[in-house]
Amino acid sequence: MGRGWIPVLVGAVVVVSTFALAQAQIFEPSLPAASAAAGGDVYRGETVFQRECAACHGARGEGGGVGPRLSGAEVDAATVTAAVQRGRGVMPAGLVSGREEADVVVYVVSISTP
Amino acid sequence: MLLGGVSETYTNLVTTVFSSTIAAKAWLASAALVLAVVQVTTAARIYGRLSFLPERGLAISRVHRWSGRLAFLLTLPVFFHCVTILGFQTPDTRVAVHALVGTFFYGVFAAKVLIVRDRSLPGWALPTAGLTLASTLGLLWLTSSLWYFTTVRFGF
Repeated sequence: MGRGWIPVLVGAVVVVSTFALAQAQIFEPSLPAASAAAGGDVYRGETVFQRECAACHGARGEGGGVGPRLSGAEVDAATVTAAVQRGRGVMPAGLVSGREEADVVVYVVSISTP
Repeated sequence: MLLGGVSETYTNLVTTVFSSTIAAKAWLASAALVLAVVQVTTAARIYGRLSFLPERGLAISRVHRWSGRLAFLLTLPVFFHCVTILGFQTPDTRVAVHALVGTFFYGVFAAKVLIVRDRSLPGWALPTAGLTLASTLGLLWLTSSLWYFTTVRFGF
């Protein structure tokens, strides 16, 4: 085997190591119990929040004039789910549904936990 | 709990500058992509192409090396978040392609770095490795940053 294979072999080892590290997901955050119970994904929820909610609630849920502050507001999953499904104030009902709803509920609960 | 704390610390640090960890990754990857374009351009000049650039000498080589180093550094926080926090996910085609290509990125990078240092290899090896690495980064950018800027929002 010539030396030309060394970069390919090292590259392959790095690829396998990266995959193993990704599978291990070693720094997966521990979510609040209420979030885990809601069955959503906090990172997908962050994306949904940025797209659907940040315009009124602020990019970090700090409140934006139209929507109230969510960051540190200590809301539970049931309250957030009800607000999303039924609407509240000027917020229309059903902005998101299904998996996106579960994801954004988890995210809001996570940022509302002080 | 300790490992969860690492992730939380990272998120807190990143959100002092960006609105979210996703926004941070989108912008860091974009900066790395710009530097990758610099890499390809300067490499082409070093190989005698793109004669409109000023010279083939030391300056071009320095720009090539430092743009590569900086691009590599910019990808590290993205790597940390994607690989150690999010992990390998395949919920839809975009994410699956991103995860698969992302898994290969540092492997291609490692191979390219070794090829640079081995002068016994054929002349086509280095340009091939460099273009493969730049293409990999481009594909990662298309399936993450571009998606974020066009689907979620264009902002910090």
